[in-house]
This record gives sequence, structure tokens and C-alpha cells, in this order.
Amino acid sequence: MDARGRGRLAEFIGLLARLTLGIVLLVAGGLKVTSPAVSARAVRAFQILPYDFAGYVGYALPVVEVLFGLLLVAGLFTRVSALVGGLLMLAFVIGIISAWTRGLTIDCGCFGGGGTIEARQTQYLADVLRDAGLAACAAWLVVRPRSAYSLDNRLFR
Amino acid sequence: MRPDAKKKIAKVTPKSGPNPVIIGAIVAALVIVAVVVAILIGNSSKSVSANDQVGGSGSAQPADVTGGEGGGIVANPGTAKSNAPTIDLYEDFQCPTCGALEKAMGPALTSMAKAGEIKLVVHTLSFLDDNLKNDSSKRSANAVACAADAGKFLEYHAAVFNAQPAQEGTGYTDAQLTEFATTAGITGPALATWQKCTTSGQHAQYVADVQDSAGRAGVNSTPTLKLNGQDITKTLTTASDLVAQVKAATK
Repeated sequence: MDARGRGRLAEFIGLLARLTLGIVLLVAGGLKVTSPAVSARAVRAFQILPYDFAGYVGYALPVVEVLFGLLLVAGLFTRVSALVGGLLMLAFVIGIISAWTRGLTIDCGCFGGGGTIEARQTQYLADVLRDAGLAACAAWLVVRPRSAYSLDNRLFR
Repeated sequence: MRPDAKKKIAKVTPKSGPNPVIIGAIVAALVIVAVVVAILIGNSSKSVSANDQVGGSGSAQPADVTGGEGGGIVANPGTAKSNAPTIDLYEDFQCPTCGALEKAMGPALTSMAKAGEIKLVVHTLSFLDDNLKNDSSKRSANAVACAADAGKFLEYHAAVFNAQPAQEGTGYTDAQLTEFATTAGITGPALATWQKCTTSGQHAQYVADVQDSAGRAGVNSTPTLKLNGQDITKTLTTASDLVAQVKAATK
């Protein structure tokens, strides 16, 4: 494969990373955005942030997820959006591992719901792996933000 | 501006097409506004809205509340012996696991409470309304607080759990809430007072405060059962186990 072909392939990998991260953010945020109180409780269940601040994070998080999901799907400001998405995933991974090691039995509330559940219902490993995979998508885009069919390409070149 | 700066700016500014700095600023501003609005909306849902408390002050504390604003209701006021341990029970009337706990432990809890062997403090939570998108938890929590005013807390509490719908989210109708009052033995003028208290949502703010203070105390699921402040929900197996733990905690 010549250099141009490799560049083209990389742009499609970028597209895939963008859509994966973007759509997951969009869906996760969309499922939570209409019930801010549930989202606030899900964040509080991690028992990491102070009660009131955890509430604010819970209210803001779905909106942030939806907006940056949209930006990623559209491919607008891909590097910055991916950086935000990646940092979110990093925070989620840290939060979930923290809850896990402290012996909490909670639903991460990633796609709505949340709060304490029975120990056998927890799925920390799956949650961590999923978010780590999404963080990898974000990392790719931060290093190489150019991707196929992006607004960045259309508008700013 | 330094004279050579102009050239540099000209170099980095695209010659045609939209300016990324301007679009970026607009997008960033939109994100910030959306986040602020989301936090404001979320925060405002914490206090009780005016139509939840029509005709009532909405902030009145029901009878037998312990532990200040948003504290639980003592189910057996004045009955507990001085050496009796305190059981704090956090429940949502719409929570099926709470229904199961009531079936398994309810009779033991009630008899220990009536015998004064425990001080039973019930915190009626209402967070499931947010999950189930109805208002049955808040309405039934308000109704049981009104029953506490009539001195029939335990009876009303039992009547609600007895009638808990098999399907989570079905909730309770206003007619059902009134039926529970009759079942609980609230009659005559007391029933009229109870009805007014219930329809006006007299304790709506109290119900919201209970939810808030339980959250602050780290209770994020129901049922939660604390014996002398210690969460023993996960270790609890049978009613006799509960009775044994209470005995061990009695000084």
C-alpha cells in the first residue's frame, strides 16, 4: 500500500473511531438527559464527589455527552471533542475501578439508572473494558484528528 | 500590534471559508450555556413546585419526626424502652424489594416496635418517581405522613405495602390511597383531616427533604435497614436473624 492509500485507510479508521465514540456518547447522554435527578443520584452513588457537587455533575453530564457526541458524529473540532470524550472515559474508568475496589455494588448509571444493586448484578469489568475501548478511540482521534467525511474537512481546509 | 504580527496572523488565517475561531467560540458558548441551564433545571427540581402543595403550606412537618428536617418518622412514638436499639428503615412504597422485605421482616419489625424492643424510624423515600416517571412514591409518602398525624403510621404503612402492585411502576391511585386510610382505621373527623392533608400535599416538602437527607446520609437504594446507625441490609437473611441481631444490640 502506498503512502496515499495508508492515509486514506487512516482516515477511515478515524471515521470509525469518531462514530463509535460519538454515537455511544450521544446514546448514553440521550438516555439520561430527560431525568436529571436519576443522573445526579447515579453520580452520588459512586461516593467520590461531595453530595452537592456530585449533583451538579449529574445534571451537567448528560448534556455534555450529547453535545460532544454530536460534535464527534459531525466531525467538528474533532481533536478537542475527542479530548473531552477521552477525558470523560478516563474519569468513568477511574470512578468505576474506585467503586469496585471500595467494595461498592453499584450500577455505573452509564446509560441511565444507577445506584446500589445486588453484588451479583454488578458488571464492573465489562464497563471498564467498554470505556477503555472508547478511550482508545478518543486517543486515536487526538493523535490523528483527520478522518473521512468530517465537517472539519469541509469547513476548514 | 507589532508591525510583523500582521503578517503572521495573515498566514494562519484561512484565505476563504469560515473562521474556525469564530465557530469554535460559538460552539463553546453553546456548550457552556447548555451546561449552566442543565444544572439550573436539575437544581430547581429539588424543591417542591407550587402545584404539588395546592392549598397546603407543603412544608409542615408531620407528627413524630425525629432527627430534624428531613428526618424519619418514629413508627412507635413513646413506646421504645430506654435500652432499645434504633432501627432506621429506608423504603420507597414503589420498590418491589421493599415489598419483599416487608413480607419477610414486616411482622417481626412491627411486633418488636409495638413491644418497645426497638425504636423504629421509617424514612419514606420517593426517588423511584424519577425512575418510573410517575408521582406515586411522593403521593404515598405524603399520605403516610398524614397518617402519622392521625397516629396511624404503622397501620397505613402496612396497608400500602399489602396493596403494592405486582408490576413496578403501576403506582397508586388517589382512590387507593383513601382506601388505605380506611384500612388503617382512620375514621370520622380524623379521616377528613387526613384527606385534606393528603390532597393538599401538606407534607410534600417534608417528603422531598427526607429524600435529600437520606441521599446525604449515603442511602442510595431501598430498602436500607440500619441497626443503631449501621447498615445491615446485606447481612440480613431471615426475620429470626433480625430479631437475634436486635437482641445482641440491646444493652
